[in-house]
Amino acid sequence: MEVNFSDPNFLPWLIPVGPLLAFFIITLATNRARLVPATSHEYGGHHPDYEGMLVPVATVPSRILSVTVGLAGVIMALFFSYTVAFSAFGEHGFGAEVVYASNIAWMATGDTAFRLGVFVDPLTVIMLIMVPLAVLMIFIYSIGYMAHDPRQSRFFALISLFAGAMLTLVVADNLLLLFVGWEVMGLCSYMLIGFWFEKKSAYKAAIKAFITTRVADVVMLLGIVYLYYATGTLNFRDILYNPELLEQLAATPALIFGSWGISAASIIGIFLIVGTIGKSAQFPLHVWLPDAMEGPTPVSAMIHAAAMVSAGIYAIIRIYPLLEAGGNPHYGILSQPMVLMAVVGSFTALFAATIAVAQNDVKRVLAYSTISQLGFMMAALGIGAYIAAAFHLITHAFFKALLFMASGSVIHGMEHGEHHVHEHAAHGHDDHHHDDHHGHFDPQDMMNMGGLRKTMPVTFITFLIGGFSLAGFPLITAGFWSKDEILADAFYGLTKGYGAHALVFIMLAVAAFLTAFYTMRQLGLTFWGEPRTEVAKHANLGRGLVSFTMTLPLIILAFFAITAGFVGVPPDFPILGPIFSPEHNAFHYFVIETLHPAFQAEAPAVNAIPVLTSFVVALGGLGLGWWMYWRKPLVAGEEDPLVGILGPVHTVLKNKYYIDEIYVAVFVKPSQAFSRFVIDFIDRGILDGILHTIARVATWIGDLFKVLNTWLIDGVGDGIPDGIFDFGGWVRRIQTGHVQEYLLVVLGAVLVIGIILALSTGILQAAG
Amino acid sequence: MEASFDFWTHLPAVIPELLLTVLAVVVLLLDLYGGKENRRNIAFVSAIGLAAIAVTPLIWGPSEQQVFWGGMVRYDLIAQIFKVMIIIGASITCLMAADDSEVGHKGEFYLIVIVATLGASLIAAAADLIMVFVGLETLSIPLYILAAFRRDDERSSESGMKYFLFGAFSSGVMLYGFSLLYGFTGETNIYTLSQAFPAAVADNPLPLIGALLMLLVGFGFKVSMVPFHFWTPDVYEGAPTPVTAYVSVASKAASFALLVRVLLAVFPVTLVIGQENLQTLWVNLVSVLAIVTMTIGNVLALRQTNIKRLLAYSSIAQAGYVLVGVAAMQSQSDYSVASVAFYLLMYTFTNLGAFAGVLIFSETTGSENIKDMGGLSRRNPWLALGMTIAILSLAGIPPAAGFFGKFYLFTAAVNANMVLLAIIAVLNAIVALYYYLIVIKVMYVDRSQYDSQSIALSRSTLWVIGLTSIAVLLLGTFGAQPFFDWAAQGAQALLAL
Repeated sequence: MEVNFSDPNFLPWLIPVGPLLAFFIITLATNRARLVPATSHEYGGHHPDYEGMLVPVATVPSRILSVTVGLAGVIMALFFSYTVAFSAFGEHGFGAEVVYASNIAWMATGDTAFRLGVFVDPLTVIMLIMVPLAVLMIFIYSIGYMAHDPRQSRFFALISLFAGAMLTLVVADNLLLLFVGWEVMGLCSYMLIGFWFEKKSAYKAAIKAFITTRVADVVMLLGIVYLYYATGTLNFRDILYNPELLEQLAATPALIFGSWGISAASIIGIFLIVGTIGKSAQFPLHVWLPDAMEGPTPVSAMIHAAAMVSAGIYAIIRIYPLLEAGGNPHYGILSQPMVLMAVVGSFTALFAATIAVAQNDVKRVLAYSTISQLGFMMAALGIGAYIAAAFHLITHAFFKALLFMASGSVIHGMEHGEHHVHEHAAHGHDDHHHDDHHGHFDPQDMMNMGGLRKTMPVTFITFLIGGFSLAGFPLITAGFWSKDEILADAFYGLTKGYGAHALVFIMLAVAAFLTAFYTMRQLGLTFWGEPRTEVAKHANLGRGLVSFTMTLPLIILAFFAITAGFVGVPPDFPILGPIFSPEHNAFHYFVIETLHPAFQAEAPAVNAIPVLTSFVVALGGLGLGWWMYWRKPLVAGEEDPLVGILGPVHTVLKNKYYIDEIYVAVFVKPSQAFSRFVIDFIDRGILDGILHTIARVATWIGDLFKVLNTWLIDGVGDGIPDGIFDFGGWVRRIQTGHVQEYLLVVLGAVLVIGIILALSTGILQAAG
Repeated sequence: MEASFDFWTHLPAVIPELLLTVLAVVVLLLDLYGGKENRRNIAFVSAIGLAAIAVTPLIWGPSEQQVFWGGMVRYDLIAQIFKVMIIIGASITCLMAADDSEVGHKGEFYLIVIVATLGASLIAAAADLIMVFVGLETLSIPLYILAAFRRDDERSSESGMKYFLFGAFSSGVMLYGFSLLYGFTGETNIYTLSQAFPAAVADNPLPLIGALLMLLVGFGFKVSMVPFHFWTPDVYEGAPTPVTAYVSVASKAASFALLVRVLLAVFPVTLVIGQENLQTLWVNLVSVLAIVTMTIGNVLALRQTNIKRLLAYSSIAQAGYVLVGVAAMQSQSDYSVASVAFYLLMYTFTNLGAFAGVLIFSETTGSENIKDMGGLSRRNPWLALGMTIAILSLAGIPPAAGFFGKFYLFTAAVNANMVLLAIIAVLNAIVALYYYLIVIKVMYVDRSQYDSQSIALSRSTLWVIGLTSIAVLLLGTFGAQPFFDWAAQGAQALLAL
């Protein structure tokens, strides 16, 4: 590895360095806090259990420095990422002939060395365009959002580490390094979801996220180990650009389930997909993601858009040829991992969309929409549409980051409003009115909102843009183009009569309809009509830095939520095709070279049916939403019309199909019972018994040695009287204490060893 | 030996030693004429001078690997590696000593350290029993003085005296071993001794066993191998902290270099007397001593309350791990020798870092008790971090260098088909985790009466802790493989004989 700042092979090393460095600097140097009583207003509203305690609050210089360092880190990452990306754009034949890569021998394993390095191909490039940009927006937004948080420095340290881990994952050239980034993100998500650990729900959500993803990660690690065992390498290019190796893997029966016709490639693929099911929150491991919004909103944006869940899909696209091995989706032959993805993805897309319809929490709707949209990508991958999946990954990251931050603004505004109302109540203006509000007013409940467009116009417009993009509003939003591409690919398979493609097409079309509907419902409940509570009437972001830093990223992201789609317009699309893609579909053309030519798939020609489907589901969903929630907006106290229409189904949806309750009954309760059994019987009874015995013996031996070393040696020395002192007369005068005894032991040891050695040679016996 | 003696071909083989002598003279002059107020600067002169000398073996040496100076020293890559290690260790020791209120402002302290380093450097390359003995004494006698350097301090005097008595005793035993070898063969060169054995002792291995054992006593004393370790805790505790650091790294590294060379050259695998293969014999002996050394070092360390005593027992245990690598040399592979060299290198940085932390801690608080380290992370987070890195490395936790150190040593044992030895070593490493992690826990979690006083770091200590920490982290990540490959290359030269 040559250190050369003009060499794009070297530059990828530097991409994660900025945020990682920022993490260390903030943690080690600029994270200064002073102690204040937990009741102090500086500590904010998170102190139910901390009465009478001193709690640390970040000092002002520490806040400023930490924010600066964090920003500098991510700007550095952005700079290097874009340098690499633009250098790649200018490269002829990038991906096929040229990739940027460099690596070092990290650790000798037997005869070969495990090599660790960075690797940039077209897929990496598009991630390098999206991730640092989205992260930078999140950072800017966090300046305002976290401005009054007592642990602002810590927040910036953790989110820097989060970004650094994501960038490490993106530039990794092998699965192990990818896994390292993956796990560090797991850790960061745990710490950030539980950032407001004073709230019981927050730390519970953190533990839930950590454990759920951990279950998946263990399976993924098994897949990595198996892959290494089977191929002797984890380097992406070595494995994935090597069709012979993949064919061989696909032809080898797996170590487990091999007799059922599952090949090594399949089982590795399935293990790795399970990792993604956990990370990208697919059914049945999706339960952690909705709870993950207990963290500060920028964290939600980070998890839902820029980093965590994208990492899962990214990893799948990365190893896509391995999953495809043994099948060919373009001829309707799907390998087992791909079937798994198609089924899980399309099911999750629809399943999560139905739940989102019945949620009232503004962030929870978005959380389920993330799960649903990730299902779209997963399903697309399952039918071989990896470019469409990558495209949707990018556009989704932009509009979902936007939506989360806009919803964060709404919540912030509501809290602001609540504060305002609270103050007035405290001044005795209309006490009786607000008594029931204190303590259990939920600033995230959309039923408490309404009419926010008047006090928060920028948030409204950007939220609207993001929402329309999510809904796939035809032609002008990014979400339309990426979603359309998935549907087009699925429809192409449907015309050939492939079952999986048909399933994906139908499920995703319905899910897209629901998406448009719940988006409109959310927009209507939040912004339209008249304020339904006093708080909503006063909800606003205020003025100054906080308001500015929270608004600016929304505007920038709104720009991308519209325009990011235009890089992937099919060239044969009527009217718009020639405008945006005069030669070829730029996104498609660039990304397709990620894979070995044997795996590349051309985009199907534009077909009127999927395009019309996209139009109909998007406009239909939006229209239905408008008809129910915009035409005559809900007024205070009115019930959601859906409750009446759906009846008991609504209750099921509102309770998310009782999945959490089922998990509690099936996994949590039994495992708690089992733990109790283990603690009471196995642990306390048997293991502790053994351990205590061992500990007692070990302590006893330790004591014995100590006694030997001090008492016995001294004691024997003191005990062996004058003889020794006479023997070493001159030693005696020095009176150092115990040296003579030490030496005696040495002498004894030499004699004993000597005799043993001599005996072992057999010479003495021979002589005797 | 050689018919014609060309001074200029022989000169480069001892360049570091010559430069060390020059530096010693310079320091002496500075001490005499440099004025009282400048004494502390002698530390920096010594440190920088030593650092510069450490580089010379890398850039200037004889063109071929062979014996020089009438067979007295051998120039080869592994000797160069150890010399670099020793001299860098000495350089960091000098830098560390600048902050010691007892010894830092005394010019003769640095002079004696440099002379000791000269001895250590000589034995790393010694190829003749005479040279071995001269080198060992040149190393040992200054160390006795250094241990007793704080004359007014009872513990220091006692420690010096104990060290001296123990050292004199083991030197005597070792010299007896040398004289046996010489008496039987009429040879003193360690590269020709083994060829003279068959003629000298016919097929009775007993004299050689006796000589081997006596040699081991001498080396066992220097590297604090059980049961020749008794001096270690007392000397470590009593001696001034920079001296302790020096004894634990430079002196130990040199002695291990010598041990490896002597065992491989004097008792090679080809040497069979009677039906007895002497290499099998010493491998078994060293294996048993390795097990005993690790176990006793670790078990005793468990109960220590004084940080310096804890590090003393830890250094005994660490010597035990290195002995695992020495025993693994039975495989005749460069891997085992390289693993020993790597371990000692990383141990040099690690232990210097740990002792630098202890030095600052005891300088400011006057205490060496582990429990008084409570809240160190609040008193000076950088110091606590440096200590943590060093302790993690001692415990063998990645990304600190100790992980790779242990990894290579234990792999060497497994490669040499000594699986049981490797398992016992791993079990020992687990036991050791307990007392190492306790120190970290105390620093970060516990509180102590001194909690509120902050500790200031001087620039030189900051350098010491910074450099050692960076070195430890580098060797634990990217630096591990390149250095290991380098050492393995050196080892080939040693094994090719």
